[in-house]
Parts: sequence; structure tokens; C-alpha cells
Amino acid sequence: MVNDLGELLRDNVASTPHDEFDLGAVVAGGRRRVRRRRFAVIGGAALATAAVVVTGSLASWESGPPDFEAAGVPLPAAPTLRLTDAVTATEGTDYRVLASYTNENLNRDNGQYFDGVTDDGLILFRDGPRMDQLQPRFALMDPATGEKDWLPDLDIGQAQTRPLELGEERLVLLSGQGGMRVNLVVHVFDRETRQWDAMTWPDLPAVEDPFGAVLGPDDRLYVPVPATEGQPPKGGWPTGPGGEADDAGAEGDTYRLWSASVTGMSDVRDEGLTVGSLAFTDQSMVWTDSTNGEAGRVHVRDLETGEDRSFDPRSGERCNLLSFGAIDDRIVMGQYCGTYDDGVRDDRVQVLDTDGDQVVTLQGSGIEGTLASDAGGGVVTVTSYEPGGDGTYIYDLDSGRFLRITEDVSSWVTSGPTPQGQFLWNTPENWNRGMTQYLGELTD
Amino acid sequence: MRDEAAFVEFAEAVRGRLRRTAYLMCGDWDQASDHVQEGLIRVYVAWPRLTKAGREYAYARKAVVSAFLDNARRRSSTEVPIEPDRDLPSGQDVAESVASRAALLSALADLPPRQRACVVLRYFEDLSVADTAAVLGCSEGTVKSQTSRALASLRSTFDASPIGGLMTEGATSW
Repeated sequence: MVNDLGELLRDNVASTPHDEFDLGAVVAGGRRRVRRRRFAVIGGAALATAAVVVTGSLASWESGPPDFEAAGVPLPAAPTLRLTDAVTATEGTDYRVLASYTNENLNRDNGQYFDGVTDDGLILFRDGPRMDQLQPRFALMDPATGEKDWLPDLDIGQAQTRPLELGEERLVLLSGQGGMRVNLVVHVFDRETRQWDAMTWPDLPAVEDPFGAVLGPDDRLYVPVPATEGQPPKGGWPTGPGGEADDAGAEGDTYRLWSASVTGMSDVRDEGLTVGSLAFTDQSMVWTDSTNGEAGRVHVRDLETGEDRSFDPRSGERCNLLSFGAIDDRIVMGQYCGTYDDGVRDDRVQVLDTDGDQVVTLQGSGIEGTLASDAGGGVVTVTSYEPGGDGTYIYDLDSGRFLRITEDVSSWVTSGPTPQGQFLWNTPENWNRGMTQYLGELTD
Repeated sequence: MRDEAAFVEFAEAVRGRLRRTAYLMCGDWDQASDHVQEGLIRVYVAWPRLTKAGREYAYARKAVVSAFLDNARRRSSTEVPIEPDRDLPSGQDVAESVASRAALLSALADLPPRQRACVVLRYFEDLSVADTAAVLGCSEGTVKSQTSRALASLRSTFDASPIGGLMTEGATSW
């Protein structure tokens, strides 16, 4: 007997089981994605001016940097830096590479990753989940020698984890269990006894995104539970110059804030607060009115006195808040603020202090930025997809140095908490099928 | 403005076909539905420029294949990858054609995801090498080599079983 491949394929799907396909969920998901993806879209081309002058060599743009003024992009109401203001960093002079690891082909299979760095300088190294390692395993890797101390198995199936704390005494990882809505699980590894312990809370509401939760300095997990979702205007979003929907200045989403003690499964409470994005410093809790759209006001609560104050961050007329972080007296807000002529995007990384004073705004077309290191003075990592200006940039909150570390970006993200002055980045390998991850440290 | 009514009409019309393609790649109807949902969300995002260019279905197919490959690469869900039911009745118990279909799904599941995608796109969707390369975002040479390896694996499975050999019609074999 001879079997025809095409016929067998067609026969296999001749009878299709019924499915509960929810087209409404697709449309709702699409609306949300239009906003979330704003950081990932590559913008147009070319120029820059800077209200803050940084000396040093300019990055080289083959066709010129984006012409923000000609495109009609508004100047932020703050000292402003553009990518052309960054100094091309020199390894050994501006920064040191402490460790690197290459995955040759991540298209073929998942690989190994740097998930962060402990306070005592060891890399949390994750292997999998991948074909031959279906359950991820973790090691603490000495960046100097590459030697790995494999930790006892963490029995979490193929669940993803995000490190909340990588301390000298313990490692705290977050994961979620469930389907569309997940119950949060915190995994604590005691580095002295080398034991994993898991904590979950039956009374804590399940959430869609487990990684919105933040660990507070009081050892409580602060969990944003969806409250209201920003809606598109009637008739849908206006279309930008490139034909894509442009949701700049969108109504934001809000969350009811819950918290749970990492040391007690019955210690769960509704904080009685509605927030957008949330972050902690050692001294304060910082939050916005809403997120994934207009941020509203920024609120700062003194954790010692309980006193609240708030201010208008003056982010601009059309800015959607996409990332949020805080350290010491600095607040970092990643934003998409619209697309202008020739497809030039207004992407910003706004740095304020906790009194509402503007420190600096990094503005680019096709850039995204987050607070990478929340230790010491703090380091902001900026990834740029600007043609000719693409690569990884570092803004040191302590010194104000703005450095271009690489001239290319991969399709993968390397992130995790790092100690003072350290940061993670990656470069593409093997025609962007893989990547090399690096751990670096700014020099004084 | 984004024309949601037109998108909904398009999605209703194509989701069955996309689900069948996704099923042949992942071997599970529920996962196939997930891939179609993810693919159609990507279509929604790109809808205004797609309708202008008139290439909605090609984009949707590419989006579903990408969703499948992304999922295979990330292994990010909490679910263990599902393989086709290997306890289906053997060829001795039922008609040979049923056994052949089950054998094919089982053999497909043993292939790496991109080889599986090549087979489905070439022999189910009847795409050319060039069109398959465009969907997968790789060179035509890669499609040829991946397909060749996949067919060799499938043929060896069939040759080693009592259900007979495997042939391909239409698409070129190499």
C-alpha cells in the first residue's frame, strides 16, 4: 500500500471537533496588544537636539538620526537627551564584561539564561525549559570562573519564573499556577539550608499577569488585581502615518492593590488602594493613577510616616505609561507618546525625582527603557531599534553618563535584578537565531 | 479608523481553515485553537495596513505559524507538550486508512517544529518553496533542506510499519 502525504494530511482534518472560539476575546486581546506593542514597533529615521549636553563621540547613523523637529515631535518639558548624545562606550574604560554566555540557536530550542545577579555577585543561571530539560533548573554561577552550583530541583513543571529578590541569604522567585488566570506562588530558596519553600495564598485573587506583582521592603508581595480597563474611542483608534492604529494618550488601566505576606499564607489583605503602576524604594511606595495608557498623577507614600504626597509628572499630552520603576529618590517611566510625520515615534524614558522635579528625559524613535539595576544609584537600560542607532544604551542615574554599549539588538530579552552598577544585555548571534548574554559593570 | 466589523467577518471566515493548519503542526485541537487565537490577535494589530495591501489571509497564516513556532520555542506554558494519541487502534483493528492517518500524526509529532511546519505548508497548504520560505522567514534553501529531512523521517517511519510506503504528489520531492 502507498499512502499519499497530502491526502493523509487532509484526511486528518476532514472532521473538525467543535471549539468554543471567542472572537470577542480576540478583539479585546487585539485592542490591548495595540497598546502594549508600542514599545516593540520600530520607528522611522533621523536628527536630534539636546537640552542636556554630554561630551564625547557621537554614535554614527548611516542615514542620519530621526528628525524629531521636522516630524513635529514635541520636546519634553524636561532636560532631554537623544541617542546621538550617547557616548560610544569602550570596554575596559567605561565598563567591564564580567561574564557572557552564548545560545547559538534559540529558534531550534529554548536554552540557558542569565536571570539576574545576587547581592553577592553570583549569576542566577537558568537552564530550560527546553526539549531535553522540560523542567527548568537553576544554578548560581560564579562570573569569574563560570563554575555553576546547581540548586536542588524546583518542582514547577514548565512554569515561568521571575526573580523578586536575589539576596545573600535567600532567593525569591515568583511564578503562577493555573490557566488564563493564575494563582501566584512565591518560591524561597534558603541559601544556608539549601532548601526550597513555596508559598501561595488561597484568599488572594487570581490574576492574568503574574509578573505585575512587586515585593515590598516589608516582605509582603503587592499584587495589582485588574479593576478597570481603558477603552478605545468609539469607532476605534485613529490610524497613524504608517497605517497602524495609534493609541497615544489612551485611557489607562487601573488595579486594586492587594498584598500578602511572604511568610504567612493567611496574611492577605486588600490595601484599599487603586493603582496603575507600582514600585518600591527602601523608603517609599510609589504609584501612578493608571497604566498602559495615561499615567495620571504620581503618588509617593513615605513608608516610615505613612504620609502621602502626589504630583503631576508632566509627561506630555499623549503619553502612555509602559514601564515603571523607582530607586532611592528617582522614578523612571517608560512611555510611548505618539507617531508623527515620516513615522517618527515619540518614545520616552522620563526620570523624575520623588518631589516631581524633572531629572532627564531620554527621547527616541523606537526605543524602550527600564530601570535595570535597582541597587545603589540605579542604571537605566535603553534598547533602541532606531535605524543606525540600534543597540543597547545605559543611562547611569548616579553620574548621568549616557553610554552606547552595543550597535545591534537581538530578538530576545535579557533581564533580571542586578547589584549596584551592574547590568545585563545581549547581542545577536548566528544571524539572529541565537544571542550572547552579557553581565557588565560600569567603571568609576 | 480600525474597521473592526471587517476584521470580525474575516476572522469568522478563516478561523476554521487556520485551525486545521495549526492542528497538523501541533497535533492537538485545543492548542490549535490557542495558536489561531494568538495569530488572529496579531492580525487585528496589523489590520489597517493589511487591508490596504490586500494580503489578509497570507498574513494570518504566517501569524498562526509564528504563534506555533514561538510556543514550541518558548515552552512557556505550564502545559506539557501534547503528543497525538498513540493508543489509537492499530491497523490490525481498523481500516488501514485510519492507521495511516494516526501514524502520520505520530510521525509528525516526532519532527522538530520547523520541519513539521515545512511539511504542513508544502503538502497541506500547497505552498511553493518560495512562499513557504516567506511564511517561515527563512531562505528557500532552508525550506528545501528542512522538508527533505522531514520527508526522510516520515518515509522511514512508514517503511518500517505494515501500513505501507509514503509518497508525495504535487509538491516536488528532493
